[in-house]
Amino acid sequence: MSEKFEPNVVAFLCNWCSYAGADLAGTSRIEYPPNLHVIRVMCSGRVNPLFIVNALQQGADGVLVSGCHPGDCHYMEGNFLARRRFALMRELLNFVGVDESRFNMSWVSASEGAKWKDVVTGVVNNLREAGAFTEFPRKKIDW
Amino acid sequence: MPDLEKLRALAKETISRDDIKCLIGWRPGTYGYRTSPHFVRSPEDADQLIFSPLCSSNLATYLTLAEKRPVPRGAQPDTRKVAILVKGCDSRAVVQQVAEQGIKREAVYVIGCPCEGIIDLRKLEDKYPHTLERVEARWENGKISLDLPGGRAVFPREEIVAGKCLTCRYPNPVIADVTVGEDVEVRGSAGFEDINWLEVKNAQERWAFWRDKVNSCLRCYSCRNVCPMCYCEECILEKQNPAWIQRSVNISENTAFQLARAFHLAGRCIECGECERVCPVEIPLTHLNRKLVKEVSEQFAFTPGVDPEAKPLLVGYRPNDKEDFIL
Amino acid sequence: MSSKPKIGVYICHCGINIAKTVDVEELTRYAVKLPNVRVARDYSYMCSDPGQLMIREDIRKNGLNRVVVASCSPRMHELTFRKALVEAGLNPYYLEIANIREHCSWVHKDKQEATAKAKKLLQAAVAKVRFLEPLQEKEVDVEASALIIGGGIAGIQASLDIANAGFKVYLVEKTPSIGGRMSQLDKTFPTLDCSACILTPKMVDAASHPNITLLTYSQVESITGYVGNFQVKVRKKARYVDFSKCTGCGLCAEECRLADRVKSEFNMGIGNRSAIYLPFPQAVPAKYTVDPHSCLFLTRGKCGKSPKCVEACPAGAVDFEQKDEIVEFKTGTVIVATGFDVFDAARKPEYGYSDYDNVLTGLEMERLISSSGPTGGKLVLGKGDGEYVPKEIAFIKCVGSRDKSTGNEYCSRVCCMYTAKLAHLVKDKLPEANVRIYYMDVRAFGKGFEEFYDRVRREGVRYIRGNPSEIFKRNGKLVIMVEDTLTAKPLEDEVDMVVLAVGLEPRRDAREVIDLLRLSQSSDRFFLEAHPKLAPVDTATEGVYLAGCAQGPKDIPDTVAQAKGAASSALVLLSSGKVKVQAQISWVNEATCRGCGYCVEICPYTAIELVSVNKMGHEVNVARVNEALCKGCGACAAGCLSGSVQQKSFMDSQILPQIAALGGKS
Ligand SMILES: Cc1cc2nc3c(=O)[nH]c(=O)nc-3n(C[C@H](O)[C@H](O)[C@H](O)COP(=O)(O)OP(=O)(O)OC[C@H]3O[C@@H](n4cnc5c(N)ncnc54)[C@H](O)[C@@H]3O)c2cc1C
Ligand code: SF4
Ligand code: SF4
Ligand code: SF4
Ligand code: SF4
Ligand code: SF4
Repeated sequence: MSEKFEPNVVAFLCNWCSYAGADLAGTSRIEYPPNLHVIRVMCSGRVNPLFIVNALQQGADGVLVSGCHPGDCHYMEGNFLARRRFALMRELLNFVGVDESRFNMSWVSASEGAKWKDVVTGVVNNLREAGAFTEFPRKKIDW
Repeated sequence: MPDLEKLRALAKETISRDDIKCLIGWRPGTYGYRTSPHFVRSPEDADQLIFSPLCSSNLATYLTLAEKRPVPRGAQPDTRKVAILVKGCDSRAVVQQVAEQGIKREAVYVIGCPCEGIIDLRKLEDKYPHTLERVEARWENGKISLDLPGGRAVFPREEIVAGKCLTCRYPNPVIADVTVGEDVEVRGSAGFEDINWLEVKNAQERWAFWRDKVNSCLRCYSCRNVCPMCYCEECILEKQNPAWIQRSVNISENTAFQLARAFHLAGRCIECGECERVCPVEIPLTHLNRKLVKEVSEQFAFTPGVDPEAKPLLVGYRPNDKEDFIL
Repeated sequence: MSSKPKIGVYICHCGINIAKTVDVEELTRYAVKLPNVRVARDYSYMCSDPGQLMIREDIRKNGLNRVVVASCSPRMHELTFRKALVEAGLNPYYLEIANIREHCSWVHKDKQEATAKAKKLLQAAVAKVRFLEPLQEKEVDVEASALIIGGGIAGIQASLDIANAGFKVYLVEKTPSIGGRMSQLDKTFPTLDCSACILTPKMVDAASHPNITLLTYSQVESITGYVGNFQVKVRKKARYVDFSKCTGCGLCAEECRLADRVKSEFNMGIGNRSAIYLPFPQAVPAKYTVDPHSCLFLTRGKCGKSPKCVEACPAGAVDFEQKDEIVEFKTGTVIVATGFDVFDAARKPEYGYSDYDNVLTGLEMERLISSSGPTGGKLVLGKGDGEYVPKEIAFIKCVGSRDKSTGNEYCSRVCCMYTAKLAHLVKDKLPEANVRIYYMDVRAFGKGFEEFYDRVRREGVRYIRGNPSEIFKRNGKLVIMVEDTLTAKPLEDEVDMVVLAVGLEPRRDAREVIDLLRLSQSSDRFFLEAHPKLAPVDTATEGVYLAGCAQGPKDIPDTVAQAKGAASSALVLLSSGKVKVQAQISWVNEATCRGCGYCVEICPYTAIELVSVNKMGHEVNVARVNEALCKGCGACAAGCLSGSVQQKSFMDSQILPQIAALGGKS
């Protein structure tokens, strides 16, 4: 091992809270690790739990789903629906032996630029610890 | 033990009704321990019906298939009821199908068969391999007796029934228009001893366990095909546009396949164990299902397939659902 | 796919905001090599006119049919670039933005790392844009009228505002008269205006307004459709009095065989009325109604030889042949102003409300003390020979509010002040009376409230901090058991009369309205607003608004303010005459939909319904999205097992390539 391992994280952010919170981190020039890449969806409720499995297959070392705090969802209920789905997906992944650090979920509001930094930093640091995802990535990734 | 004469008489009476087009039950198979689904369309057909510890298949799977076959041009769809024999677990499939509108309650006539446990054929084959003569089995005073070519054999229930029957909390049908036989005692524990041993291992050990199992998956889709809850018109496990899971058979696609299948059954699996029974490479699919059954029950106090009016688990939420995993 | 993708990639320097940290030239060189990319350019300000012109010209000259802009957040300039596409004749939804400023150059320092990340973000945008589909922005016409449910002060005010703006209003009230709870009040805190004096003119205005159709003694039976186009069915219950003939003279009521023998709802059962009645003297409309639950003729089919009212009416207006009538109309918006119920004091048995006549609720006290009330405003208890004037009077606050044991954790917001008001009125009528108020806290938060509270205390009303545990009778007196929590002393207080300041609760028949409009309730069971801060009069259903206590307890000024807010929201729709329908909404692939209805349950906007279709000869259900209701959250898409419902611009087929691009090593 010559270099320190740098994980690759795919994140799904809801447009109204978390994506805006990440934007705020930008406007406030809050620095954080560059390992995480965002896919914007309108609501955390749009995130199909199978996206997580798919991201791990397609080369992500870890995944983050982030939405509005409970009660703040722009669409009222999307984050509540997401919370249930991911509570189960998380347990399932864990059960087959996928390290807990590989799947994360957070509530980050549009005003929480600083929290966004903490979330990203925490997720990335944990994954640096966990190392590359080797359990079931695809050999060839085609898009 | 149900009285077969009574069962057949009831079936005759049922199939003679104007509002019933067909009765689905079991009959002896062609050899050995096998039994087959039996589609009774006339009173005579009913003479072959059986119900015994060998009747493993969950016939509810057939209920959702009718609509998938085209109605011949010019013909009217036959909207009469289908009568079906169900064990306890099978009855939960019917309930869950009704709850999620896969079938209409009024389209089925449910004949409940309280069940003391179904033989795990693999356990039997271990004991008596290559049995070709037809074998009959029956429940007797909490034991299971078999008429084997070499004579009668009696086993304690625990020794020979399927794993799902050891954990079964619904041996008596939860829905039935009529019941054959007496209700039986509930013996399955509410605990999850069957998966606890795996849960307590560390992540590497768990992955090592699953990697070996999943690696052997042939992607034959039998587990999905047999599942009474898998009746989607187009299954995402096979869909190619977009392709969630690629066709190639390897550890990546196989794992994704297993996770997707199990997740799609979260809050829906009624623990009939059919998926595991039909898997040609003996992947312990029940463990995956049971893990989710456990979470669904412990986190959300939800049990699928007991209340036809219940809203499916993943279409709702409670504001105070557990969220200690969220950053 | 409509046509083979020809993608243009536009990389913005944003002055040095991006260019300082991301190597934009390197990024451009990288972009041209990506599949389906025809051109890639970088420019100092992509959002500027020359920047946009660059995109438009490329679209025209190079026949581009997809555009990726790598720039600031889509939350900043997505619309700007969409417009540029439209101007160049391209569908605006053939655009994808890679956020390389807020999510990249502004949060990273190392140029190499930032450039590598920008490449990935760009790659993902290119991956997605290839699969985007053109979308249409639709508009629907708005029916130029409003339905207001509930004729309390909230409903009246909203009706007047909308009607004054020139739009038609249907005001539906369940009871025979509009006015709501406010009509039952004597004076109103903190200014002590006479309630009827300020309310009656508004009631009359509403009734006589040419734009308002008043439907009293009526109930909405069904509302279908969506914003701009609601179909409404209202049942006008039979009054058994011909509206056009009745002059409101009241001779019928005087002659009624049950005159003064039916409990008056308006007077909270303290006074009586006839079976044919006007709920209160200022009722609007001033037309009589036969109460079908008490009328002898209607309940027993016989009222003496012939019904007295029929005989008495000089106009021949009483008509027992009358039937319910169904009225149907269309409206563009709906305002729910159905108000509240007061807490049922019997649910706190320790206070003896059901046992003792001299334990009253606040609302009963309003009637008792009102000069239009059953005693003509005399504060007396008992009947006939037993009549007496109470001297020791106690009020107990927070009855059924801030009380978990009743399931009402919330503060009812008006009881502190109405208690002060009633205490003042008592002192006004009976200066000799000793008045004390048992309280947990005094919340005098509104304009003029603290001053009023001060005034009442100066008038000699005593405030004792303590939450009474029990009330019982001893030697003909009521005894209040309470601990004074300021002195930590237990008290036994003997009084002649107790007034329970009952809180405000959701109406017990709220279900009717919930079912009509599929409204949600907040944890306090009042109707749920779309956003507690920023959309307090909106609901999850577009075009449906809330006003007054239906949304939560409030006083009259707040009720009126909210009613005006709801009216103004409704007017925005009505006056524009059109409502834009979201383009990035969901649609269902009916061929693969299994009709399980998961999406129907999931959708927070009830935008999906199951419809019956014929598939291969079978009648089966499939889901169908109502385009006017869907807000494009995508929750349905994530919940559909077979992926049959998809959110446009966020389809599985568009997101999966994004994931692949981000996951793969670039
Ligand atoms: C004892 C007491 C004293 C008060 N004193 C004061 C005071 O001094 N000052 C002050 O500012 N506030 C006071 N308030 C508060 C005041 O009463 C309310 O703010 C006000 O009445 C709210 O008006 P509203 O229109 O929202 O509801 P409501 O007055 O309840 O009116 C709702 C109307 O809708 C009708 N309705 C309900 N359901 C339906 C349906 N399904 N279809 C058709 N119609 C329906 C009802 O019949 C009713 O007419 C007091 C409240 C109480 C209980
Ligand atoms: S997943 Fe297996 S055990 Fe569960 S319902 Fe389907 S076939 Fe039965
Ligand atoms: S695995 Fe999922 S998509 Fe496939 S049939 Fe089962 S429920 Fe439907
Ligand atoms: S039945 Fe077994 S082998 Fe076949 S697809 Fe299912 S898990 Fe794989
Ligand atoms: S969830 Fe999917 S399959 Fe079920 S009704 Fe909706 S679109 Fe159809
Ligand atoms: S996208 Fe959201 S609003 Fe639209 S139909 Fe689906 S769940 Fe309802």
